[in-house]
Amino acid sequence: RMNRKKGDKGFESPRPYKFTTHQVVCINNINFQRKSVVGYVELTIFPTVANLNRIKLNSKQCRIYRVRVNDLEAAFIYNDPTLEVCHHESKQRNLNYFSNAYAAAVSAVDPDAGNGELCIKVPSELWKHVDELKVLKVHINFSLDQPKGGLHFVVPNMEGSMAERGAHVFSCGYQNSTRFWFPCVDSYSELCTWKLEYTVDAAMVAVSNGDLVETVYTHDMRKKTFHYMLTIPTAASNISLAIGPFEILVDPYMHEVTHFCLPQLLPLLKHTTSYLHEVFEFYEEILTCRYPYSCFKTVFIDEAYVEVAAYASMSIFSTNLLHSAMIIDETPLTRRCLAQALAQQFFGCFISRMSWSDEWVLKGISGYIYGLWMKKTFGVNEYRHWIKQELDQIVAYELKTGGVLLHPIFGGGKEKDNPASHLHFSIKHPHTLSWEYYTMFQCKAHLVMRLIENRISMEFMLQVFNKLLSLASTASSQKFQSHMWSQMLVSTSGFLKSISNVSGKDIQPLIKQWVDQSGVVKFYGSFAFNRKRNVLELEIKQDYTSPGTQKYVGPLKVTVQELDGSFNHTLQIEENSLKHDIPCHSKSRRNKKKKIPLMNGEEVDMDLSAMDADSPLLWIRIDPDMSVLRKVEFEQSDFMWQYQLRYERDVVAQEEAILALEKFPTPASRLALTDILEQEQCFYRVRMLACFCLAKIANSMVSTWTGPPAMKSLFTRMFCCKTCPNIVKTNNFMNFQSYFLQKTMPVAMALLRDVHNLCPKEVLMFILDLIKYNDNRKNKFSDNYYRAELIDALANSVTPAVSVNNEVRTLDNLNPDVRLILEEITRFLNMEKLLPSYRHTITVSCLKAIRVLQKNGHVPSDPSLFKSYAEYGHFVDVRIAALEAVVDYTK
Amino acid sequence: GSKHATTPADNYYLARRRTLQVVVSSLLTEAGFESAEKAAVETLTEMLQSYISEIGRSAKSYCEHTARTQPTLSDIVVTLVEMGFNVETLPAYAKRSQRMVITAPPVTNQPVTPKALTAGQNKPHPPHIPGHFPEFPDPHTYIKTPTYREPVSDYQVLREKAASQRRDVERALTRFMAKTGETQSLFKDDVSTFPLIAARPFTVPYLTALLPSELEMQQMEETDSSEQDDQTDTENLPLHMSTDDSGPEKENASVLQQNSSLAGSRNGEENMIDNPYLRPVKKPKIRRKK
Repeated sequence: RMNRKKGDKGFESPRPYKFTTHQVVCINNINFQRKSVVGYVELTIFPTVANLNRIKLNSKQCRIYRVRVNDLEAAFIYNDPTLEVCHHESKQRNLNYFSNAYAAAVSAVDPDAGNGELCIKVPSELWKHVDELKVLKVHINFSLDQPKGGLHFVVPNMEGSMAERGAHVFSCGYQNSTRFWFPCVDSYSELCTWKLEYTVDAAMVAVSNGDLVETVYTHDMRKKTFHYMLTIPTAASNISLAIGPFEILVDPYMHEVTHFCLPQLLPLLKHTTSYLHEVFEFYEEILTCRYPYSCFKTVFIDEAYVEVAAYASMSIFSTNLLHSAMIIDETPLTRRCLAQALAQQFFGCFISRMSWSDEWVLKGISGYIYGLWMKKTFGVNEYRHWIKQELDQIVAYELKTGGVLLHPIFGGGKEKDNPASHLHFSIKHPHTLSWEYYTMFQCKAHLVMRLIENRISMEFMLQVFNKLLSLASTASSQKFQSHMWSQMLVSTSGFLKSISNVSGKDIQPLIKQWVDQSGVVKFYGSFAFNRKRNVLELEIKQDYTSPGTQKYVGPLKVTVQELDGSFNHTLQIEENSLKHDIPCHSKSRRNKKKKIPLMNGEEVDMDLSAMDADSPLLWIRIDPDMSVLRKVEFEQSDFMWQYQLRYERDVVAQEEAILALEKFPTPASRLALTDILEQEQCFYRVRMLACFCLAKIANSMVSTWTGPPAMKSLFTRMFCCKTCPNIVKTNNFMNFQSYFLQKTMPVAMALLRDVHNLCPKEVLMFILDLIKYNDNRKNKFSDNYYRAELIDALANSVTPAVSVNNEVRTLDNLNPDVRLILEEITRFLNMEKLLPSYRHTITVSCLKAIRVLQKNGHVPSDPSLFKSYAEYGHFVDVRIAALEAVVDYTK
Repeated sequence: GSKHATTPADNYYLARRRTLQVVVSSLLTEAGFESAEKAAVETLTEMLQSYISEIGRSAKSYCEHTARTQPTLSDIVVTLVEMGFNVETLPAYAKRSQRMVITAPPVTNQPVTPKALTAGQNKPHPPHIPGHFPEFPDPHTYIKTPTYREPVSDYQVLREKAASQRRDVERALTRFMAKTGETQSLFKDDVSTFPLIAARPFTVPYLTALLPSELEMQQMEETDSSEQDDQTDTENLPLHMSTDDSGPEKENASVLQQNSSLAGSRNGEENMIDNPYLRPVKKPKIRRKK
């Protein structure tokens, strides 16, 4: 019996009942041939009010055979309004009408509002029982036939038993979609403990949440039943399943961690997961908290819905993340996926959310600690580069669509209360969102966490997380008490309270700006130097009227690099002040020959001849720490950008300078870029970016360009034989920085154009020679990505065909250069059939190149080739490339 | 019948062949046959001859293997055992009562191999080679004859050659594949200039896409023997990618195997990994009667 006091601090469920001890899910038959599932669930329910006569549960696409409450037959109604969002008679056929109707339908079955598709009548015999608030057991028999979502069957069409074919099935879906495969309260806020049973073919393994208690053969010994117990209170939405003839690998470093993959892939699984224990160690250390579950399972499956899906004590990954030790490019990507999945185990699975509007906290924290892992693993440069990339993405998306709101508060549901009226969908439910919006939502959430970190320090941040985890961990070990278990749910207010308790700081303005309202800030900056007053007159304007923007009021950091050193200034951005006077420290530039101190304390010699003799300013940076979600358009002279590129040590500043230099095609810019390109200490991504900028500058300077085509001599020096410079060295990719540069330079060089706007013959021949002399026999690593990029380079060299009277493209009038390119593409694409490359990267590049040739009028525009590659049965990357080519015909 | 004149060598072989025929015939008689067709005798003779030849060939190999020139009894015994013959039955068989005695083949001279053309003087054995070893062959078979063209060793030429060779092979191979199978074409009016092997869907597409090809595996093994390791220090690289199997991994793999093979027994060793997925599957409980 529950004795719930009024005013309990705990989370108030919208339902007049509450789960307790166990929910049982038993799937006793899985038919791969028919793609069907038969089973039952048993929910133990505590009424919290008298006269409860209806129980609403979530269930989609399941066929319900029988419902019993405390062993009495119960009547039920099954109605899924999302199956027919707009009724046939509706005359309004527009997106707005659909969007409203869809949101209404989703609301009507929203578990967080106490709704559901399945409505069960409590038998009248039990009403007295209910009035005494006694336990009800609801037993539901159901089956599932050819599910369209939630549970995905992969059944290869070949001979042999299902296990021999590698047939498998797994749960999947976007947000809370467990109702697709068994009846439940499909909410992240409804926690209970679980008993899960799966009876499968003896050759198969069923992987699910919690501890595998035992595996028992059926009486005919042809099947076995996997019994799982999950004693940590968990939301139905975090329950998952994967069944298949998996190969099993116990993690050699952590025996409670088990990895599963499809047959034949075990060597790849070993290599791919050999790194995971380091991620575990990292998170446990920074959170000063043990991994919350007693075990962890990773399952790698085909046809994954998303690359990474995190559930209670297990994660389901795409099998395409597996790779051997020969593969360079996939390795960091896969490790990132593993780290993401593990971060979500702590925040997202173990700690769940109270409501949809608290989602940002979970995504924010898991994204933030994942960022810390990135910083530790790949270094500060990679981390800052990533933060800048994410910032650019969210800014571009918000400016395009009108804003992403992290913490929406909903009024009565009236149109005018809609906090996101600029969007063509409702943001009230996860299921009504666009996929892209949700991706950007997650991106913004972790960026905002970083802003909070900037405000309260990382130490406090980690203390807050630790507090959330230890509260949840204490709560999870308690027997059922609703207010205790609600400690495992995070809410926006609870999170903010915790921050204020731990740090003693008021972050309300920050939350109001970035969480409670949408939009980003758009700064325009320019400056003048007042020589008389020795003052930098900085003007910062904002655009806050365009869609997706908001007004920023508050502190803004500006860093000024002067001759005498680097100085930080904090400006107060206020309503009507645009101009800011910043006093300069350096008097003049008379004392030459002195080394210039940089922000990091380093002192360097600079050639100051390029700068303005009257000004001590080398370069200026607005918001260098990315403490505002903003876009900055700043004007400074070309030489300042060049100094910034050469001497500023922050990779974000270097990348900004490179992008700015595109507008200054001068020999000085060329020199600055070439120097960066040659500097081995420089971050490889900056060097890669410099390649493309150099190509653009070279094209703008085409009439005055001297010497060999841009980058050619550098490439020759770095990668070609000393004795015969036209022949590339045999591949050796041991130095990854060089490897990435070697891949990128030809791609950028192919963008060079001569005065006739054609790719110079010399460059084309150079790329063809790289292909011809490519020799990977002595290399420890695969060259599939390198070869793919050489094909990309060939495609980049293609320019529009000169067409006379729209003549039909035939072989006879084929441009001789194109003939050479086609020769290579044909050979590459055909060789892929005999010796396929990892992830078929070469096929992908060939398909893209063929589309480029078609689009430029060299080859007849015929989609049939792409259609055949888009068919089911090709590797997913190939299908996507082919589909993109097909879609391109509509453009 | 042939009208060719018989040479001494022919006579030599014919005489032995005839003896064999007699042997076969007497064995047949011994086995109770009264007559046999010529073809049957011929076939049996052929079989016997091959059998004896094989004993000889094999015994020679065994004796040379142990660096001898003359076969010993043990060479013959090993040979017979190897050929599936039960040697122990041989003495009894030789002493059987009903055996027939066959007259020795007529003495014919070993044919003389015609003298080959000799050029120059054969070199005597150097002191460290025992005298019973065969003589040196004619000098012209091993004496170096200098040629005027230098062999190709120039790096550039080698690379050029390797590149064009590979390209030619790939081109020929893919063209052959294209000719013999279905193709796709980029140009409607032409199917042979740029023939593309038709795209064929896989039943399990991820296998070919993810697993290294045999060529790559081979390459990995070859390069794994640290051919490149001296060039760069792996540990300083930003991505800590180790390619060699780490110790615990191997250890675990063996435990896995061990466990699956011992699936029945529960008394594992102390350091055996306790993982629920490695535990044996339980037998079903006997259903209780209600």
